[in-house]
Amino acid sequence: MSLTEQRPSAVSSALAKDRLGVPSVVFFVISAAAPLMVVAGSVPTAYQVTGVIGVPFAFLMLGAIFALFAVGYVTMARHVVNAGAFYAYAAQGLGRTQGVATAWVALLAYNALQLGLYGIIGSATEPLLLDWFGAAPPWWVIALVAWAVTGLLGLLRVDVNGKILSVLLVSEIAVVLVFDIGDLLHPAPGGVSFEGFNPGSLFVSGVGAALATVVAGFAGIESSVVFAEESRDRNRTVPLATYLGIAIIAILYSISAWAQTVPTGPDGIVKAVSEQQTELIFNQAAAHMGSAVSTIGSVLFVTSSMACMIAFHNTTARYIFALGRENVLPSVFGRTSARTAAPKAGSVLQTALGLIVIFVYAIFDLDPVTKLFFTFGAFGGLGLLTLLTVTSISVIVFFARNPSGETVWRTRIAPALAALALCTMIGMTLINFDTVLDVEPDAPIRWILPGIYVVAIILGVVWGSVLKATRPEVYANIGLGAQAVGGGAR
Amino acid sequence: MAEGDLSRPSLADDLFFVIHHNVTGRARLHPRLASLGLAGAVIGELMLAERVTLDLVPGQDRLYVITEDATGDPLTQNVLDHVVAEPHHPIVTWLHFFARTVYDDVVARMIAKNLLNPPARHLLKLQPAAPVDANTAAWPLARLNLAIERRKPPAIRDCVLYGLVVATGGAPRALREHDAAFATATTALLPVPLQRLIVQTEVVVGEAVISRR
Repeated sequence: MSLTEQRPSAVSSALAKDRLGVPSVVFFVISAAAPLMVVAGSVPTAYQVTGVIGVPFAFLMLGAIFALFAVGYVTMARHVVNAGAFYAYAAQGLGRTQGVATAWVALLAYNALQLGLYGIIGSATEPLLLDWFGAAPPWWVIALVAWAVTGLLGLLRVDVNGKILSVLLVSEIAVVLVFDIGDLLHPAPGGVSFEGFNPGSLFVSGVGAALATVVAGFAGIESSVVFAEESRDRNRTVPLATYLGIAIIAILYSISAWAQTVPTGPDGIVKAVSEQQTELIFNQAAAHMGSAVSTIGSVLFVTSSMACMIAFHNTTARYIFALGRENVLPSVFGRTSARTAAPKAGSVLQTALGLIVIFVYAIFDLDPVTKLFFTFGAFGGLGLLTLLTVTSISVIVFFARNPSGETVWRTRIAPALAALALCTMIGMTLINFDTVLDVEPDAPIRWILPGIYVVAIILGVVWGSVLKATRPEVYANIGLGAQAVGGGAR
Repeated sequence: MAEGDLSRPSLADDLFFVIHHNVTGRARLHPRLASLGLAGAVIGELMLAERVTLDLVPGQDRLYVITEDATGDPLTQNVLDHVVAEPHHPIVTWLHFFARTVYDDVVARMIAKNLLNPPARHLLKLQPAAPVDANTAAWPLARLNLAIERRKPPAIRDCVLYGLVVATGGAPRALREHDAAFATATTALLPVPLQRLIVQTEVVVGEAVISRR
């Protein structure tokens, strides 16, 4: 055995040519996080809705928490199948019933994150259309166009091509940095203030709401381990790409969130965003560097939102597909489009939900940015926090049951610290959920939305128990994803 | 076993016919899924010809060479030689490995056997390799449709063919009627190694669907 393995293998080297290196994985990971979308969309909205000026510090703090979380996460990824899905960790760490509950939470969270994006695309595109044609349709018309494109590309299985994605991503980051420099060169009369990095400016009333939005900016980072099977060296490529991705996102977002406050001063940012919403950073850029730079930024804002939408659409559709293959969802969701190799049923379901959401918001004339993009984003962020917490606990339990020679730091200490920090964040988010929703503190809706997750968890546990009792062969394969049909054997 | 007869369509040829239009040769299946299915079919040919089988190590299905006797066909011989040289790879690794080249190899073999016409360049667009005889090309699919209609399991080789068509996700598109329960029952009639081959093909197809590339 060892003799044959030492010889260079024609098979392994042929397959290795197809594999991904660290830069490719980082590109995939950050592109789902869509830098310009977060900097131009999420950050100003977070300032506006929460009134918290400590957003820059929040990004750094969350980066640290995510890095802590990633320690256990990437370690367990080496030991489990279907590593890309949170519920696989729960299923293989805590138990299959808990895995089903986690899967439900994941479906809700990813769905919310994707659907919320339909709220931002309108305000991203409107200023451009006004500038070019002098008129723009209502937001929901633009959202419907984006919806149709996303649905179609999802069915055709057009993942935005790696090369296009890289070009877009590099230009986005370049534009964000140029905007930042412009902001920094034009400080408010009071001078450059570092108030945003002061932890004291984050931990004020509304902190939980700010955190939930900021979390959504990190969504996508967890997808790095999906590439474990496709990376050159799963022990090195994936951890490195994950930490690198987290560091890039945390630092870039933090600096950009801070830079936005420099021209207005920390005291003026909330008022400025309330007036200009997502146009703020483009107006700032136009004032500092001319309209050409600002227009390039606006165009990239649109492409960034689209790319993000497609990425989340496909992530969710694949999640649904994997659950269909396990028969946890009806097996029709495990069907493929033969011609395009797309997870067809999941994609169609996702598209149908998008249409419903756009219609409801258009009919009731609700504000797409604060009520759709922000609310759904924060709701998804809350779900993501829950998933991260459950995953951290799963890591600890998994390694307690399956000793593997990994260090105590990776299997116990880091995941425990991450779980603790994440639980605290969930608590703070729940306390401030009225601010997130912009409702009275005693409005029932603030408990109904987080309650949806509780209901999903209960239903998941019930469904898991039903499967255990009535279809043990399905129950045995929970958490294995596409490998469920093979019983997990390679 | 009929696999020794080189002039007749083999399992992989049959699968190729099922997942392509019998007159135009247009593909019914995404190239990536088709390649994984054909890789399974070529390994299936070697299993039916009793050159290899699956060693069912718990947690990992490996190809095991029974005899290194020449297969008399360059494509399957090449596959067998690879497995003989590196016997330690799990079946899924082989499926991925052969899927890289198997599509072109099967087309080349079918052109050599005069089952397909060489692809023609028409108005600057490369036309797919069309079957020489539309009836020959329609026959494997007709056999499957007939078996499904009568709910009577076909011969062993066609059971494998049926299993692979279902595993690649081509069944709803290619077959006149897709009955998942009958498909499962038919596959269950096969020897365990062939069943596992079909299951592992379904696994790699599922992974290809989930993969972001």
